[in-house]
Amino acid sequence: MSHDTAYLEECARQIRRDVVEMVYRSKDGHPSPSFSSADIIASLYFEVMNLDPANPSWEDRDRFVLSKGHACPALYAALARRGYFPPEELTTLRTLNSHLQGHPYQPKTKGLDATTGSLGNGVSIGLGMALAGRIMKKDYQVYVITGDGELGEGLIWEAAMAAGHKKLGNLTVFIDNNGYQSGGCVQDVSGPYPIADKWEAFNWHTQTIDGHDMSQILDALERARAVTDRPSAIIAQTVKGKGLSFMVGDNTWHKRVYTDEEYAQAMKELGGKA
Amino acid sequence: MSRITDSTREGFTNGLIDLAQQRDDIVFVSTDSLMVVKGQPFLERWPERVVELGISEQNGVGVCAGLASSGLTPYICTYAGFLTMRACEQMRTFVAYPKLKVRFIGANGGLFGGNREGVSHQFIEDIGILRTIPGFTILCPADGGQVRAAMKASVDIEGPVYIRIGSGREEQVFPPETPFPLGKIRVLREYGDDVALVAHGFVLNRVLKAAEELKAMGVMAKVVEAATVKPLDGEGLAQVLEATGCAVTVEDHTVVGGLGSAVAELIADRVPAHLVRLGLQDTYGESGFPEELLDTYGMSVSDIVDGALRVIGKKKKKKD
Repeated sequence: MSHDTAYLEECARQIRRDVVEMVYRSKDGHPSPSFSSADIIASLYFEVMNLDPANPSWEDRDRFVLSKGHACPALYAALARRGYFPPEELTTLRTLNSHLQGHPYQPKTKGLDATTGSLGNGVSIGLGMALAGRIMKKDYQVYVITGDGELGEGLIWEAAMAAGHKKLGNLTVFIDNNGYQSGGCVQDVSGPYPIADKWEAFNWHTQTIDGHDMSQILDALERARAVTDRPSAIIAQTVKGKGLSFMVGDNTWHKRVYTDEEYAQAMKELGGKA
Repeated sequence: MSRITDSTREGFTNGLIDLAQQRDDIVFVSTDSLMVVKGQPFLERWPERVVELGISEQNGVGVCAGLASSGLTPYICTYAGFLTMRACEQMRTFVAYPKLKVRFIGANGGLFGGNREGVSHQFIEDIGILRTIPGFTILCPADGGQVRAAMKASVDIEGPVYIRIGSGREEQVFPPETPFPLGKIRVLREYGDDVALVAHGFVLNRVLKAAEELKAMGVMAKVVEAATVKPLDGEGLAQVLEATGCAVTVEDHTVVGGLGSAVAELIADRVPAHLVRLGLQDTYGESGFPEELLDTYGMSVSDIVDGALRVIGKKKKKKD
């Protein structure tokens, strides 16, 4: 399948620029986890999901749950650029009276579908949304992004078991498999491998893709959509900090603030104005 | 359809049937708890409105968050501690914080509810835990009919509601069809102003008996049911306490954090009065028959009578 991906790649670059602005200006946040999810979020919000930014609570809309809630700067950027609220508000992130909480809080931010932040909970919430769609006979889709370190949470597997058992074809979970968690390499800290086999064992349709290749993301989502008798897990091989040379391979960027020099360098690399 | 109204568990299922007959948004979320609450009649009639998830309480509450945010009103029922302890964080962060309309039904409340199962299934902390979480409505109805009425009264509350139920061995306290006084205390006996006996749940009949014994001794009590623990009817209780100047709280719960604590807070904040708190005195229970457990752990009729005399003594001493 071929896609015109140039537009989506620019959307993802815009999200990354916004993340840098937000973290630099508000002096807090999680840059590299946001970067590893940025391409998936761009594909969902600017191509795949059926949304109406003028009517955020439209009941037939597709839903999105950011289970790795600390990557919310990327999500907030997508929502702002999609028209849910003015992009100028992005830099109020994590400050008093802002609608942009440190982790997603659904009632405050237009366009959010779920409150998240504490890891391991997003698949259950997405499962509930998918079940609601089935009960109310609506054909919306539910998309979730979890981290790979997050797979250490037992609740992920409670939800995986239930969704597989219920054959929920309207639920798709991305595992943002960037190989790092807060404390270091996922392999060293927790060891959830093999990942795809586990979801497969819980009766999910699984695919493994390059989570930064827009064509692969879109193809995977099309295949997931075509599978209607099982939930879909897309293991997205990602790079934490992808898009900025100095963040890749340096896990201190899990949560770190840009200096003036780093900010200037970031904007140069991402094609923005410092 | 057959209706059994003699226990709080059946009261829950009957209440759910009442609601589902009138509305399309009611969903029963089961974590292998369908048998516990004798939910078969509901399942037979509305199979599409039962979400069975197996034994997974945290997942159950997360699923409820997803269902509620999509416009349904889920009722999740399982043992009180598996909700309020195992899934406490899900109840707080994913339901209460975003103000979602999820209804939690906690079974085996108290020693009376857990009885012979022992401590792992006797939940004496549920109300205290939830009182600390902003936005929860906490209800502790006295019998099966009141559970049913409480469900009806609370169905449209924005945000989460917790309803405590028992094991199925509760005595009837109120005549069937008695409305549930959501958010208000209910004065059940008004013999006089010597002392207020404030209680809720499955100990209520004991409190009523104690009031009769006290009356026979010439001590005139008010019996007050506080079935809505949060938000507490501070206005109503303050009026009672102003009149009596002293109170005994009786709850099948640890005295830390529950009704006794709520009344103590009210006394500290608003209306000076003497207080004796009956309930579990910061200890665990053990296996036993329900009535003998209450007798053993400080909630016998004579404990309530003694508590009343003690607190009246404190009040008199102060006056002297």
